[in-house]
Amino acid sequence: MSERFTLRNGDVIVDIPAEERSFLGQVLLLLAEVDESPDDPGHRRLNVPVYLDDSTSNEEWWRLMGEELGQSRARDRDVYERVVSASGPTVLEGDDANAFLRVLNEGRLAFAARLGLDVAEDHDRLPETERAALDYLGWVLEDLTVVLMSAL
Amino acid sequence: MTLPAPPVIKPDTDEDEDLSRPWQVIVWDDPVNTMTYVVYVFRKLFGFSDTKATRLMLQVHNEGKAIVTDGPREKAEFDCYRLHSHGLWATMEQG
Repeated sequence: MSERFTLRNGDVIVDIPAEERSFLGQVLLLLAEVDESPDDPGHRRLNVPVYLDDSTSNEEWWRLMGEELGQSRARDRDVYERVVSASGPTVLEGDDANAFLRVLNEGRLAFAARLGLDVAEDHDRLPETERAALDYLGWVLEDLTVVLMSAL
Repeated sequence: MTLPAPPVIKPDTDEDEDLSRPWQVIVWDDPVNTMTYVVYVFRKLFGFSDTKATRLMLQVHNEGKAIVTDGPREKAEFDCYRLHSHGLWATMEQG
């Protein structure tokens, strides 16, 4: 089996089989749902407080930084969509590989939150299909993280 | 003759915030972010060595949280932003 991610001259070559790209594309649908649903556990996980004991400062932080965070996440998802909708290998230049990584991680966090994964031990109690999906996302994330770490 | 003690004039500052005390950025443990990913984010964002990033990651994992950076309030808020954009739960408080 070929490597999903390969470092070449500072760029990351992404070569993910078509069936995996199709599965990974569902992460974008999940995140779009989560964005629209403030009561969704995934939404809450991606929008955690910055000040624990100061609601005024926390609201102010989210008022000032929340929009920028949303725009940054949207840019990341554009990169991610380009990869999962491609018909073959993709070259990610500059920060684009990190953008892909961030979306993958967001998707795992939101998915796990929806599954009620609050402590590590919850993982083994997940239904088999959901556990396999979460583990798969984790493997892809780990693959890319190791490649990016090697470039630091 | 004894002169009365001069009045003590306190500076006009917000009593809730001592500007000389740095703000600490705290990263909290969660069961989803992988250890490798957390080490990578610490190294990438803050330029930590692999040893320091791994030590902080293990502190988060074993103790539930770790202070990863500190400094002026604006820097701490920006560090929180960068950590949140990578999916890590970071909070800040004055040390």
